[in-house]
Amino acid sequence: MGTMESFAADNQTSLERVLSYLKGEKPQRIAAFPLILNHAARVLGVPVGVYNRDGKVMGNAHVAAWKKYGHDLILIFSTTSTLAEAMGTKMKFFDEDAPQIDVPLIKQHSDISKVKIPDFTKDGRLAVYLEATEICVAEVGSQVVVSTVFGGPFTTAAALYPVELLTRDLIKNPKWVHELLEICTQAGLKFIDEIFKRKALPIIVEPIGSGSLVSPRHFHEFVAPYLKRLADHIHKTGGGMPAALHICGKTTPNFRAMLEADFDIWSLDAVDMGEAKKAAGHRVVLIGNVNPANMLKNTAVEIDAEAKDICEKMGDRIGFILGSGCEVPINTPPANVEALINAARKYGRFDN
Amino acid sequence: MKRERGDILKDLSDGVFNMNEELVIKFSHEAVAVGLDALDSINNGLIPGMNKAGVLFDQEEYFVPELLLCSDAMYAGIEILRPHLKKGSVKEKYKLVIGVCEGDTHDIGKNLVKIMFDASGFEVHDLGRNVPLASFVEKAKEVDAHLICMSTLMTTTMDGMATVIEMLKEEGIRDSFKVMIGGGPISQAFANKIGADGYADNASGAVRVGKELMTGVAV
Repeated sequence: MGTMESFAADNQTSLERVLSYLKGEKPQRIAAFPLILNHAARVLGVPVGVYNRDGKVMGNAHVAAWKKYGHDLILIFSTTSTLAEAMGTKMKFFDEDAPQIDVPLIKQHSDISKVKIPDFTKDGRLAVYLEATEICVAEVGSQVVVSTVFGGPFTTAAALYPVELLTRDLIKNPKWVHELLEICTQAGLKFIDEIFKRKALPIIVEPIGSGSLVSPRHFHEFVAPYLKRLADHIHKTGGGMPAALHICGKTTPNFRAMLEADFDIWSLDAVDMGEAKKAAGHRVVLIGNVNPANMLKNTAVEIDAEAKDICEKMGDRIGFILGSGCEVPINTPPANVEALINAARKYGRFDN
Repeated sequence: MKRERGDILKDLSDGVFNMNEELVIKFSHEAVAVGLDALDSINNGLIPGMNKAGVLFDQEEYFVPELLLCSDAMYAGIEILRPHLKKGSVKEKYKLVIGVCEGDTHDIGKNLVKIMFDASGFEVHDLGRNVPLASFVEKAKEVDAHLICMSTLMTTTMDGMATVIEMLKEEGIRDSFKVMIGGGPISQAFANKIGADGYADNASGAVRVGKELMTGVAV
């Protein structure tokens, strides 16, 4: 690593590079999406607890992170529970970590009557996300895609109602779960509208639909149909924007059921990317999957080797974006983020 | 008509395996009524059903929802049978302390591991989630544990596991316990790096590793 390295300079902006994928053309090199979320606070040098409660700070942090790293996608995000938070779930905030669920809104089934589609101007931290989105689009939106990330219906449901109860009710009270998912879906559809109004890309995260938690059968019944409605809405109202889905953890058992949701982009975590490519074919652009814990713990040389290995697994690398499997940990050394992006420049070229 | 022991035990096992809490409650009462030994009903009825569920979990036939409902049925049966356990009939068990590291409130994975250890005859002391690191050490000393199990889903809290191991070393009691770790960002490499004795990437794997670590260790 370091001074000995050489690779051709980028001749596309991040935006042009990503648009190449959408047009079905080969970019100069593959795009790099290290999933920089709360880590952006570190780049700006502000506490994570300030970053995730102040739209200006959040926006400025992502602009600063993009200017530092030049990654190919800005992701406005703090937790997967943000939509549920705006719908009434209480979060616990930390100075130096992302918020976590403190008290879910629903304690008993009858509490479903309390679940409302949020007001995007004032409930929870939705306004924080949207302000951060506006700042990034205004400042760097001509050079890089800005996305706003939120939890899918199943993940939102699991933040409104404890996940241990929700998973049991998939079997015991399926009808009630569908009712809850319906409201979460409607909230998601509205969020998509708000994101499009700001000329950003909505990205759906559905970690609770991971194969570590639900079976393909339950994914097919409770996760895919609602995700598909979000994807359809993005396709219908997004003016050519792709529908992008991130699921952390082990998703391999659910690949087939995931196809039903009709997303154009999958961001994957603890899976074999070669297997994912086989399952998804050329229909889906794949993002993945440098191990997030390795981003935090390994050296830049190791990250380079891991990224190289992933690129090799992807064969022709068409429809592939090099990324981290999940959030780049808050305290990741910047050199590791740079190593991931440089790996895309080294092992993902189409111009030679 | 009084049914045979074998039939009742099979019904208990099937009830757990089929996630049928109502039937397990019914058959547990029947077991008590016909005078079956409570420990026999648990160990040769409920537990085999739960372990069968664990095998299916391993094979990705059962997932979290199924495993949780099986465990609900198992615990409902144990609730009924426990008051009927004969004094002194319960053998000494391997004891373990389990919890989610401080700073992390995600505990579904930890709870699955706890269930599977319960079903494998370990005495489980569950510290819950967001557990102050010193509590792992204190509790392990207090109950004279054999095994300390730590879990986390987050990269921000994984270093807490190394801290607990350091605390054990500082007190000169590292060798008194086996330490096992797991959770989303955790890997065998990380376990090796921090000097943990074992790592597993799912709940039934955790029990396998836990049992291996107990080989040669006196109860």
